[in-house]
Amino acid sequence: MRLLHEQALRDIASGSAVLGTGGGGDPYLGTLVALQALARHGPMRLVTADELDDDTLVVLPFSLGSPVPLIEKFPLGKEMVQAYETINRCLQGRVKAVMPDEIGGINSMVPFFIAAQLGIPVVDGDGMGRAYPEIQLVTLTMHGISACPFAIADEHGNSVVLYTIDNFWAERFARSISVDMGAICAGVAFPITGRQVREAAVLGSVSYSERIGRASREANAAKQDSIAAILKVTNGVLIFRGKIVDVQRRTSRGWALGECVLEGMDSDAAARMVVRFQNENLVAIRDGEIVASVPDLITILDADSGQAITTEHLRYGFRVVVLGIPCDPKWRTPAGIELGGPRHFGYDIDYVPVEQRFATATRATSPRNK
Amino acid sequence: MRLIHTENLEDIALGAAVLGGGSRGDPDVAKQIGMEALRTSGPVQLVLPDEISDDCLVATSALIGTPMEMVEKLPKGTEVVGAFLALQTFVDRAIDYTAAADGDGLKSTTPFAVAARLRIPMVDADGIGGAGPEMQMVIPTIYGIAAGPMAIADEKGNISIIDAVDPAWTDRLARTICTEMGSTAMIAACLMSGRQLKASMTPGTLTRAERIGQHIRQARQQHQNPIEALRKLTGGVELFRGNVVDVQRRTESGCVRGEATFQGTGKWTGSQLTLRFENEHLVAVEDRADLITVLDPETAEPVTTKNLQYGVRAVILGMQRESPARSYG
Repeated sequence: MRLLHEQALRDIASGSAVLGTGGGGDPYLGTLVALQALARHGPMRLVTADELDDDTLVVLPFSLGSPVPLIEKFPLGKEMVQAYETINRCLQGRVKAVMPDEIGGINSMVPFFIAAQLGIPVVDGDGMGRAYPEIQLVTLTMHGISACPFAIADEHGNSVVLYTIDNFWAERFARSISVDMGAICAGVAFPITGRQVREAAVLGSVSYSERIGRASREANAAKQDSIAAILKVTNGVLIFRGKIVDVQRRTSRGWALGECVLEGMDSDAAARMVVRFQNENLVAIRDGEIVASVPDLITILDADSGQAITTEHLRYGFRVVVLGIPCDPKWRTPAGIELGGPRHFGYDIDYVPVEQRFATATRATSPRNK
Repeated sequence: MRLIHTENLEDIALGAAVLGGGSRGDPDVAKQIGMEALRTSGPVQLVLPDEISDDCLVATSALIGTPMEMVEKLPKGTEVVGAFLALQTFVDRAIDYTAAADGDGLKSTTPFAVAARLRIPMVDADGIGGAGPEMQMVIPTIYGIAAGPMAIADEKGNISIIDAVDPAWTDRLARTICTEMGSTAMIAACLMSGRQLKASMTPGTLTRAERIGQHIRQARQQHQNPIEALRKLTGGVELFRGNVVDVQRRTESGCVRGEATFQGTGKWTGSQLTLRFENEHLVAVEDRADLITVLDPETAEPVTTKNLQYGVRAVILGMQRESPARSYG
C-alpha cells in the first residue's frame, strides 16, 4: 500500500490519457476530480492486487457514455456515489475496495473519487490496460466474469440495476440507458474477489500510467523530448507525424463516432493518415492501409507538449504525433483478439502487433524537427 | 377470499379483454401465461382489498410491450416470477400480495402467474379500471404511489431494476429497456402498503371482469346476442358499427400508434368513424364514454389494435371506466 499525493495523481491522469487511446475522458477533468477529492479527504490509498485477500470484494466504477457531453455535463457528482451505494446494497454492503474499469483521463480517476469519500483503497490495476468503448470489452469477460449486478445512476437521481445473462447484454442495456440519461452517466459494475482480480484483471496499470505521466512531465521540465520519453516507457512506436486537416465526429447511439484525417509532416510528408474512433481510437489507416489496430493502443499526442488528445478534443490544425503502444498480453491471445480485435469493430483484417509492423527502431526515434 | 380455477380465469380473461378496450396485442397470450401457471401450480387465492391488512406489502405484476411484437415473440411466462423476486430482494422485504397494474386484457391475467407460482394471494383490484398506455396513467400513480422501484425481465433471463425519481422517468427507462429486450417484457412494480392499495385502487375489478366474461359466454351458449348482453350488463352505449376501410399503424418508441377508419353499417350507414390508438384504442371521434372497446359483432370477442385490418367488422362500445363489480349485483 502506498499513499498518493497531488503529483502522483496528476501523473496518473496525464499518463492515463496516453493509455486511454483517445477515450476514457479528458485528463484535465480527471485531474480536477482527483485533486478535489484529495483536498477534501486527504491522500489516496493505492494497493496492489497481491495485498487483497482472496475473498475481498472489489467493484469497478466508471463514467459510462460518450465523452462529448462531458464537456458541458460534468460527471462526478452524487450520481457516482449513488451508483456505488446501489451496487453495494445489492451486494449486502460487502464491497471493500474499488479498481478502475479502464485506464483513461477520467476513468482512472473515478475510483479515487469514490475511494476517498468512503475511505477504501484503490486497487492498482484495471479491466483492460487501456480504454475501450463497450462494457464487455474487459479481460474479465475472457475469464467468464459477469458485469452484474451493474448499477447505473444519473444526476437526476435515477438508478437502474442490471442482471444480465452475459456481458454483451449488459452493454446493450447500459448503452441505451446511458442515452436516456443524457449520453453520460455513472456506472459501477463487475463485483470481483481479490482472487479474481489477480487472475483476470490487468495488474499494475495505475502505476504504469503514473510512470508514463512522470516520464513525460520530467522530460518537459528538462526541455527534453517528452514523446521519446513516453515511447521509452511504453515500448511504443511513433507511427505518424502530421497535422489534423479534418475531423468528422458525431454523437450517435451513445458514443462519439468518427474519424480524424492527418496530413503528414517531416518524414511522413506526402502521406495521409486516417484514425477512426468509437470513443477510443480503433484503427490507424496510412494511405489506405491499416497500419495499427485494436487491441493495440493508438494514441494521438500534441507534438509539442506530448499531452494526449482525447477524441472529443481533436480539431483542425493541431500538430500531432500518432503512437502505437502494445496492448496487454491478455488481448493478444485468440480469445482477446476475438473479443476486442479489429473484427469486433467491423474491420475484416488480421491483427498484427504494432511493434512487429514497425520493426525499424528508426521511426520511433525520428528527431523532432521544429 | 375465494379460489380462482382455470374456468374462472377463462371468464376473467374474456371480460378483462373487453374492459381493456381491445388493447396491447393478444390478450390470449397473457391468458395462457396465467392458465399455464394455474395448471402447473394450482388455484390462486383471490382476496378483496378489505381482507388485507393495512401494513402488508403489495406489488403489481404485468406484461408490457407493443402489441405487434407480441404476435411473434411470446413471453416464457416465468420471467415475471424472476422480476417479482428481484424486486423483493432489492427492497429487502417479503411482498405479501400481487395485483394487476391495470385492468386490460394483458395486465389482469399475468399476475396469476406470480400468485400461482409463488403461492401468494392476488388482490381483486386494479389501478385504472381500464387501460392507459403509460406508466404514470395507472391510478396508484395518480394517488402518489411510485411506479418504481420496478423490476423488468425478459424471456432470455435478463432482469433490470429501475429506481427512478418520478413515474415519468420510470416509464422512460422501462420503455428503453423493454425495447432492448425485444419490445415485450414482464414487470413487477408499484410497491404499496395495504392502506395505499385500499385508498387508490378500484376494488372488485377482477370480479367485474369475470362477470362480463361469464355473461358473454352464457349468451353465446344460449345463442343470444352477446353484444346486447354486454351492453345491458354494463350500461354501455353503442358508439358505432361498421367495417374497417383503412388502417395506419407504426411502431415507435416502444408503442404502436395509428388510426383506423370505419365505414358505418346498419343505422350508421353513410357515416365514418376514425379510431386513434396508442397501444390501446384512445379516441373515437364523437367520444361519449371514457372507455372504448372494439368488439366482433357476432361473438363479442375484442378486436385488438393488432387485429384491426381492412374488412374487419366491429361494434364500438363506450363504457364508463369506474363501475365496480358490486354495482352489477
